[in-house]
Amino acid sequence: MGQALLRVHGLAKGFRSGSEQIPVLADLALTLNQGESMALMGRSGSGKSTLLNLLCGLEHPDAGVIDIDGQHFDGSQAHDRRAQSRCWADLRRQRIGVVFQDANLMPAMSLLDNVRLRARLAGQDDLGCLAWLERLGIGALADRFPDQVSGGQRQRAALAMVFAMQPALILADEPTGSLDRHTADDVADELFRLQAEHGCALILATHDAELAARCGQRLDLAHLSCSAAPSPSSMSSTSPAPADRSQ
Amino acid sequence: MTLFAALFSHYRRHPLQLLALAIMIVVATMLWTGVSHLTHQARASFGQSEQAVAERRQVVRSDGQSVAVADFVTLRRAGVCVMPWLEVQRPDAQGRVVGVDGLAASCFAGAGEAAQAWNQPLNGKPFLDIRDAAALTTGPDDRSAELTLLVAEQVTEAALPEGYRLSRFSLGPDTGELGESFLLNLDALGVLVLLITALLLRSVYQLGLAQRRDSFALLHRFGVPPVSVNRLLVLEMALLAGLCVIPGVALGRLLAGLLGSGFGQALDNLFDAPLYAGQEASWLSSVLTMMAVVMVVCLIDLIRPVSRAPVMLLAGQRQSLALAALLLGLALAMVASSLVPVFIAVALVFVGAGLLAPILMSGLAQRLARAAPDPLKRWHFAEFGVLARRLALPLVALQFALAMVLAVQALVTVFEATFDEWLSQRLAADFFVEVPAGADSGPGVDWLAAQPVLAASGDWQRVVRGEAELMMADAASHSETGPGQRVDLLAVAPVGRLLTQWRLQAAADQPWQAFARGEGIMINEQLARRQELAVGETLNLTVADETLSLPVLAIYPDYGRPAGEVLLNAGLLPAAFQPGFESLSINPGDLDMATVVSGLQRVWQVETVTVRNNERIRELADTVFDQTFLLTRAMTVLTLILAAAALLIMGWVFFSTRVWYYRLLAVWGLRDREVAGQMVRLAVSLTIGIAVLALPLGIWLTWVLVHRINPLAFGWSLPMAVYPEFWVELIGLSLLIGLSIAALMRRQLQQPATIPASAGSLSGGDR
Repeated sequence: MGQALLRVHGLAKGFRSGSEQIPVLADLALTLNQGESMALMGRSGSGKSTLLNLLCGLEHPDAGVIDIDGQHFDGSQAHDRRAQSRCWADLRRQRIGVVFQDANLMPAMSLLDNVRLRARLAGQDDLGCLAWLERLGIGALADRFPDQVSGGQRQRAALAMVFAMQPALILADEPTGSLDRHTADDVADELFRLQAEHGCALILATHDAELAARCGQRLDLAHLSCSAAPSPSSMSSTSPAPADRSQ
Repeated sequence: MTLFAALFSHYRRHPLQLLALAIMIVVATMLWTGVSHLTHQARASFGQSEQAVAERRQVVRSDGQSVAVADFVTLRRAGVCVMPWLEVQRPDAQGRVVGVDGLAASCFAGAGEAAQAWNQPLNGKPFLDIRDAAALTTGPDDRSAELTLLVAEQVTEAALPEGYRLSRFSLGPDTGELGESFLLNLDALGVLVLLITALLLRSVYQLGLAQRRDSFALLHRFGVPPVSVNRLLVLEMALLAGLCVIPGVALGRLLAGLLGSGFGQALDNLFDAPLYAGQEASWLSSVLTMMAVVMVVCLIDLIRPVSRAPVMLLAGQRQSLALAALLLGLALAMVASSLVPVFIAVALVFVGAGLLAPILMSGLAQRLARAAPDPLKRWHFAEFGVLARRLALPLVALQFALAMVLAVQALVTVFEATFDEWLSQRLAADFFVEVPAGADSGPGVDWLAAQPVLAASGDWQRVVRGEAELMMADAASHSETGPGQRVDLLAVAPVGRLLTQWRLQAAADQPWQAFARGEGIMINEQLARRQELAVGETLNLTVADETLSLPVLAIYPDYGRPAGEVLLNAGLLPAAFQPGFESLSINPGDLDMATVVSGLQRVWQVETVTVRNNERIRELADTVFDQTFLLTRAMTVLTLILAAAALLIMGWVFFSTRVWYYRLLAVWGLRDREVAGQMVRLAVSLTIGIAVLALPLGIWLTWVLVHRINPLAFGWSLPMAVYPEFWVELIGLSLLIGLSIAALMRRQLQQPATIPASAGSLSGGDR
């Protein structure tokens, strides 16, 4: 067992819908060591995306503590949000890679430029970016734009971006959700292969039981979350939500 | 109806889009109707006045006094067929009306077309019964009311009683094409405004249409034929246009009413052409025109050509076509010899510049993106290129509006400066003292000449105004041809600093010295242009009963005043000359003006003299000037505000479709402030970029107005000047628009975003 990269306890999050407060997560705890993987399961609206957003600082918890990569974040200290946002931004820049179901790439830039941009933001050399695309089998498409390649190829490029930044933790939100079975399997294979090779931790939100089975741990939010009712659409989407949305 | 409800549901989801569309239609209609209403009214007024007084003559008193009702009675008793014509300014600058006496006009019957002018309803548009016109005057001393006695064509000079003579009747100097050209310029401005608003309207509508394509596809899958959808779109647009065009026309007429005063003064001041209360432009034509414009602009894409090949070919050659249009327009503007080709040239240049601007911005951005070593800078330039293409229509509309504002502002400022110079020329002295009616100016002149303090520290001159007759000269042989032409006469003496500071366009050697010796005359620019006269030519000038044969010593600028004028040394005036107006221009210097006034009162043996303070006149003139150009300023500023608002809306809407991607920057670790900074840089570089591209277009348009349209239309040219402070102002305004878009975008970044369904243009994922 590796060193604990992520510790969460007492985590709670709810959303306001008009005057009504809808709880999504309550008293959630989890631990993830370096190199480990965890699958987040649960039906739509169970809080998978919300939890991922909390774990990369795109949303602030109502309560609870997150210790990640040596940084401590306390959800009860609302007054310190601005400083916490800056710390989260630094973590996302260098240590946490996020992969969404789609639209991970800047549409006006080539695949290679997207990877370069992500690598440079993380403070990495961009010389190896083409190599990452080649490792994922799309080196020949490096100069193509996102709308000129298939969905599977776009997701491979997204993986190249994440690995080019050499993260400690990858948060993947339904990364194969928009792909056909065959392509989804290929992309998932690449994800697990590189994660194992690279030694980073992985949290994967998915509906796919087979995919979840490939992870070391499983967290079924359907049993943990407070509300199984679908959240308002703007909150349940796999969106990179604003940091102060809960305010 | 269910289908219509399904289609219209888009606007239920996006009410602001519907509001923006409605506002665009209303404002576009308002601006265009405002201008066309004014020009229509002015044209009708010109037409009526020309028809009414075409080839007419009037009876005037030989002693130069104005005619009165008593003169009418005398003439009718003497059996002369005369008809009173009373022009009155209606209150609140509603235009002038003409009071006529239908009974008195009965002896004109059979006098031809001229009689028809007043053979129409006397409803105040502009003719009304003379009693009603008299009721509008403030009394016998009302200077705005003017009585004229028109005479039938068959009446001869011999038939007139003693003390009267015949004279040509006109509403002022022959304005030739001037009034029409001024209106043509206004029409052109109106068309430019319509073009800009049409672009904005189309951009807003196209945005909504693009967002509705998924709904159309869904309806198609449900079995609804595309033609049914298209029909409903036409119906929807017709309803919307109908609802918005009517209030737009009403607002336009209101705008025309508000600006009418300034416009009337413009006509009056520039062309001596009064704006009569005329028939108003019909509502129906305005409504139908704007309905047609709105429908065509929004729905032209529904018209499917029989063959798409030529369209595709043209679309592929857009860059070359734009360049060709631009170059052709530039060349045509240089060589065109009449107004219509110049306006065509302007249209070509605008089309070319409008098509090229987004291509240029986007191409430059792509080049910079390729050259940038920093991936974030590369992203910035790539994103800039996308925005330049996607926001092409509102950007080009803003570019046109900025160029138009720059040109009109420069033109008005140049005109203002020139007008100021003209005022300085005419109002060189601090005070005017009117020579009292019936008094001889001689004792006053002698008294002034005898004041040593005035001679040492001040200036003065006697100014006499009247009429003279210039014998027409054949351009080729310079031989006299036909009857003489009436010209305004300005006689001045002694020749001092008040006169010699005039700027001259062309002059013989030492013109003022020769003028002071009475060895020649000077003529104004209009007279020189119209009669093709040059310095050195000898003219025969009949003043009262004497004909003077004198050379032209100089030509002085007259800034668009259409009347021909001759400047003569007052020492040459024959004794029989009857001045129309006589005054003394005085710079008192160290002498107290009160002393001057009392001295003149004493020698003229009058209790009061009329003294005019020229500083006040100058202030009044400046006020009139400001009112005169209120229309053009209001039009251009309103258009600019509209273009800015449209870009703001469109920019915000388009940025919103990209918000997911901008938020990716935050996901990748950029801090909120850094992401906001990127938004600011993008929006500001976009708006400033288009402002920079608007500058050459605006400067070129200024050049066309000053050096091509003005000389062709007005027959005179203003000096070309550019005003870099305007550029700074416009760039500042563009900066403000960019910052506003960025501020709206920052707000948008705080809202949740859904993942784009595809990388298509609908979801903002285009490149």
